[in-house]
Amino acid sequence: MTPFDIRGTKRRQIKDRIFSGFVWALTFSCLIVVFIILFYLFEKGIGSINWALFTKGPKPVGEFGGGIANAIVGSLIVVVVAAIIAIPLGISVGIYQADNRGKRIAERIAVAVDVLQGIPSIVIGIVIYVWIVKPFGGFSAISGSIALAIMMLPPVIKSTEETLLLIPHTLKEAALGLGASYYHTVRKILIPTGMGGILGGCIIGVARIAGEVAPLLFTAFGNPAMVFSIFKPVDTIPKVIFAYASSPYEDWQRIAWGGSLILVVFIIILNTIIKLFENKWKVQF
Amino acid sequence: MEHLQAEMDALRNEMLEMYNLVLSQVERAQTALIDTNLSVIKEIGSNEKLVNAKELQIDSRCETILALFTPVAVDLRFVLSALKININLERIGDIADNIARTMSHTKPGFDQELLEKVNAKGAFTMLLEMYKSLLQAFEKEDTLLARDILIRDEAIDSITEEAITITEEYTRSKPDSIGQIVPLISIMKMLERIGDHLKNIAEEIIFYAEARVLKHSSPK
Amino acid sequence: MEGTILRTENLQISFGDNKVVKGINMEIAEKKVTAFMGPSGCGKTTILRAINRLHELTPEAKVEGKIFMHNEDVYEMEAMTLRRRVGMVFQRPNPFPTMSIAENVISGFILNGIKLKTQEKNEIIEDALKKVALWDEVKDYLKKKGTSLSGGQQQRLCLARAVAMKPEVILLDEPTSALDPLSTAKIEDLLYELKGNYTLVIVTHNMQQAARISDMTAFFYLGDLLEYDDTKKVFTNPKNEKTQNYITGRFG
Repeated sequence: MTPFDIRGTKRRQIKDRIFSGFVWALTFSCLIVVFIILFYLFEKGIGSINWALFTKGPKPVGEFGGGIANAIVGSLIVVVVAAIIAIPLGISVGIYQADNRGKRIAERIAVAVDVLQGIPSIVIGIVIYVWIVKPFGGFSAISGSIALAIMMLPPVIKSTEETLLLIPHTLKEAALGLGASYYHTVRKILIPTGMGGILGGCIIGVARIAGEVAPLLFTAFGNPAMVFSIFKPVDTIPKVIFAYASSPYEDWQRIAWGGSLILVVFIIILNTIIKLFENKWKVQF
Repeated sequence: MEHLQAEMDALRNEMLEMYNLVLSQVERAQTALIDTNLSVIKEIGSNEKLVNAKELQIDSRCETILALFTPVAVDLRFVLSALKININLERIGDIADNIARTMSHTKPGFDQELLEKVNAKGAFTMLLEMYKSLLQAFEKEDTLLARDILIRDEAIDSITEEAITITEEYTRSKPDSIGQIVPLISIMKMLERIGDHLKNIAEEIIFYAEARVLKHSSPK
Repeated sequence: MEGTILRTENLQISFGDNKVVKGINMEIAEKKVTAFMGPSGCGKTTILRAINRLHELTPEAKVEGKIFMHNEDVYEMEAMTLRRRVGMVFQRPNPFPTMSIAENVISGFILNGIKLKTQEKNEIIEDALKKVALWDEVKDYLKKKGTSLSGGQQQRLCLARAVAMKPEVILLDEPTSALDPLSTAKIEDLLYELKGNYTLVIVTHNMQQAARISDMTAFFYLGDLLEYDDTKKVFTNPKNEKTQNYITGRFG
């Protein structure tokens, strides 16, 4: 009679190998897909990467050498302003949530955040159109930023909250035990300690909104000219990709590929920064 | 462990004080007996109180160390041996006091010739030398010296054994000295007991320093 | 009691419906070490944290009765002022991870928004680190992060952080229970040295530790103070049978 501990070992080992192989195969296929997309994008877009792409605005049909400079500037304006709105607000809500865990109001806020995260981006765009664009009588970069800020809030709030919850409460006690006020404790201890996670959340938020088109359709709208004001409508990279890609003109399609490549490279850079941040800002408790 | 070390050092110092207090008492007892110096007897009496007080102090110190520090290994052995050495030293002090009392009841003292015959002086000298060696053995944790004392005790025993016969002979030849027999024999027996206590102390020093128990066995 | 610095009057503490501390009247002597001991759940840590009002972080905590420090009602004071006068060292070493060793030492000043001149700052840092026997070990590494030290060193750093504020009382909540024996011994020696200048109140699960370092020992059981006397008396001849059962290990 074989002893209990080695009975059925052979079968278990085989099962184990099949399972590992299965997991590996699926992972591999996911990665393959990603690489294929990136490769294709690179191949199609690299040809369009030239100085003109970055420095020139759109040229009328038939003329070569147009660029998306106006969209690049527009994207920057819209994203930066959205970040300026969403980050302080999101961090504050995150701090509140972490502090008031378990209370009724915090639970309600958590539900609201989840709902917000689930709202389709175009719906947000329409709502902002009704609340801001119509009353103020025109499309503008800032209304686009407001829509994007709303979309950026959930990731910022959630990562702030989660990061702060990970901080052992003995650190808070140590700070209060030294006579610190709540404000000083948050500013000088909790936020610096959680900076890695908080910033990570912000960058995730930015990466998310950088590629959005739908909410901007009714807010920032679009603008072939180069604008530096937040009160005017602006073009953004995803929007021009959409516009050029759906046109029948080959030149414009070429520009769309170039823009897509730029956008994807930008997102890859952001994600790499997140990874680097995680390691550099890793704080040991 | 500074706190424990401070207490152990204090205990060691108190032990040394006890050793020295009792040593002076034995020296005074010698003066009282050999030189028949009776004024010393009062000194012995008043110092006996100091000896008793020191004994209590050492007991209390040992109790503190055991209760508060739960010492182990060499520290534990030191405290245990200190408790026993303390008792033995106190008994030696008691004996010195008894010698003094016996002397004060034996007026006008003992015949010098008798004292010489029983070699009382020799006995005392040996005891004092043993005592001083013991003190050195304690201070230096010298177990060889301590073992030596175990052997030297035998010499004391033989002196005191012979003292009975010698005293009987003497009083046969000098019948008025008959009143001296009992007190003298009793004092010689006390000297033997001092030797025994010194032997006990030596055994405790060896226990502390070497963790070997030599009680109830022949000297090695 | 002569030289009393802290006094409680019918101190009662409950968490919701659960009364954890049942009416404590005690006086704590100045510049001595007082140990609180007792089985888990007896209320000793709760009382300790009530002294610097840290229990207020727990929303359901309710305190009745009074605590006085130098005859000032602790609950009438500003909590922050009180906590500057009463330092605390916690069970797990918790130096601030984003601060260097030097910054950790003066973190009390940083967190209170007190600006120090460089000379003053360096003096305070050196003095505090010397007091906790860390100076020689870290004097060349003051800019390294506080969490780069070993557990025992971190706890000494936390002690330095408390000492730097020159508190009148230092509360210690099982300060060595997370440390190895050698670090524990070092910290016990430190506390023995500090007691000449600071009043120390230490909660400990380790009876031998209470015996080794404290001058007065208080034994708590299920929220009551059963015995409070000289440490030597408690450990050689306790008056209360429960105390004796506890310290001889015959509990339960």
